[in-house]
Amino acid sequence: MNNKLRELREQRGWSQGELAERLDVSRQTVNAIETSKYDPSLPLAFRIAKLFRQQIEQIFEP
Amino acid sequence: MTRLTPRSYDRRVLIAMSIYIVLMICVWPLARSATDTLPKIVYALTPVVPLLYTIWLMGHRILSSDELEQRTHLIGLGVGAAVVSVFSIFVGFLGAANVFETDVTSAFLIWIFPLQMLSYAAGRRLAARHYGLGPCDDDADHMPTYVRFFFVAAVFCVVAALAYFHSGNERVTSFALGMASALACGGVYFVVRRWMRSRRSRQ
Repeated sequence: MNNKLRELREQRGWSQGELAERLDVSRQTVNAIETSKYDPSLPLAFRIAKLFRQQIEQIFEP
Repeated sequence: MTRLTPRSYDRRVLIAMSIYIVLMICVWPLARSATDTLPKIVYALTPVVPLLYTIWLMGHRILSSDELEQRTHLIGLGVGAAVVSVFSIFVGFLGAANVFETDVTSAFLIWIFPLQMLSYAAGRRLAARHYGLGPCDDDADHMPTYVRFFFVAAVFCVVAALAYFHSGNERVTSFALGMASALACGGVYFVVRRWMRSRRSRQ
């Protein structure tokens, strides 16, 4: 699944570590989501969408 | 639940397993020579204490992990359980068929936990690689592998010194020195590998 997580994170000038801290996950998990190697669960996808104030489908596309 | 940093987890496991090594070599053999039942039980079960602490640490680490880490832990534990099950059933069938001349079941049982840990680590490493998570050695969050090897080598040196100067036990001294040498060689290998990788990335 493709996503715009890296783009959104870079727009805000956050490092992977900073985003990981805000989402309460590890830096490696953020990296795995950004590189589309791991699709997050629905609760985590909601947390990401809430953090960036966007709809889930605006960030993640099948 | 407070998240344990990988470095903190590595340090605690390393200390617990070092204590386990010392207890296995210095305390556990006393169980064979003890005549009373109570000291025999205490000597025999003392090495279990650091193992229980390690299992508790693992549980704490898994519970405080995020969803991807929990998934890799679960895959690792699944691999570990499968390997241990196969190992146990092999030994069980062979033992039931009286293939072994003496009763070696207890000797095999001692290897269940290390086998579980090794196969769990291998399974978790494979799962982590599948999700693009780097190997532990490259991760700055973890304690470098060569430090772990040198630390355990130093523990074996201490055990060898204790065995030589305290009890004069040549068998334990030579075993501990052999283990220390092998681990020191492993440590040197990881130092060289790390140096070569950093040199390659600079080029």
